Amino acid sequence: MLKIITLMLVVSNIQAAQPVIVKTPEMVVGFTPRTANQMGSFYEARGFPKAVRDVLKQQCFITVGIHNTSNKKIWLDMSNWKFTAGGKPIKREHRDYWKQRWQNMGMPLSKQSTFRWTLIPETLDYLPGEKEGGNILLPFSDKPISITATFATGENKQGEKIVITTDKLFCAEDAE
Amino acid sequence: MKLKQTFTLLVFVLSLFSSLLLNASNSKVPFGIRHYDIGSAQNFTLKDIDGEKFELNNSKGSWVFLHFWASWCGPCRAEMPAIQQLADKMKGENFQVIMVNTAEDEDTVFEFLGSINVELNSLLDVDGQVTEAWKPRGLPTSFLINPEGKVKYQAIGGREWGDPIYVNFLKKLLKPDVKL
Repeated sequence: MLKIITLMLVVSNIQAAQPVIVKTPEMVVGFTPRTANQMGSFYEARGFPKAVRDVLKQQCFITVGIHNTSNKKIWLDMSNWKFTAGGKPIKREHRDYWKQRWQNMGMPLSKQSTFRWTLIPETLDYLPGEKEGGNILLPFSDKPISITATFATGENKQGEKIVITTDKLFCAEDAE
Repeated sequence: MKLKQTFTLLVFVLSLFSSLLLNASNSKVPFGIRHYDIGSAQNFTLKDIDGEKFELNNSKGSWVFLHFWASWCGPCRAEMPAIQQLADKMKGENFQVIMVNTAEDEDTVFEFLGSINVELNSLLDVDGQVTEAWKPRGLPTSFLINPEGKVKYQAIGGREWGDPIYVNFLKKLLKPDVKL
């Protein structure tokens, strides 16, 4: 019986870790959780050291795609994104944190570079029609993840702010 | 009376002509290409997959399409055939396509380029540091560098480079009297 319940919980979490798409009149933002195995395989295929992969396996990977569907400039600034897990704030580490961590672990420069290019930029401007994205890494949690992202708009960031929220995200887990 | 009519017609034709000229000089770049006037292109020296050394500064005198890519990046892979088309369509022009692979080894790049049936060579930025220095918006990204060695445009990835809208834009760039 316990096994069945455990299995149901696992299945329930796998099903919950589905992509979430948030649409506003100005933009479309997609969130796709990735499992540890998905990310582990990606980095293993690129020759990342095991010690690094072990660190990455403990993270909650979410691939974010941002599409500016408006006719004005939209500004991404990751410092304006807030994250919670189970209602409690969680911290997304800045790419500089990872740079330092990989340097401390002696990770080859080429792997550090590849890792950085898979991350979402800390800041980016989107012209009308442009779409770009990347991964965000959060501390792994089995609780529901909420994201509130605020974007400045307009040539000089003086336009009306856009706020998008979702509380329907889960970190993706591999089936056991 | 006739003189007045002629004068009015002349003014009309002149204003139409100047309006056309103004539109031509303000013509927008195709979607996905941005003005990116950051001054002189940062020089680098890298080897290609045949082991040949390449120095960017030696390309002065022609327009350069400098493209940063990696084989693990989906849009980079998807864009490759379009870059091959562009290279084919710009053959014989004062225009070079220079590809820089970001942080992958020679075997990976060689195998990938062979598997997608393109004739493009690529420089190998093995440790990724040239890419870091150039700071593309993401991968893939292309820069357009003018014959004086100044960076003029940046293009975000996934463009249909073989499409006439892009080819015509690039061919216009080669004409020194046309301002885009």
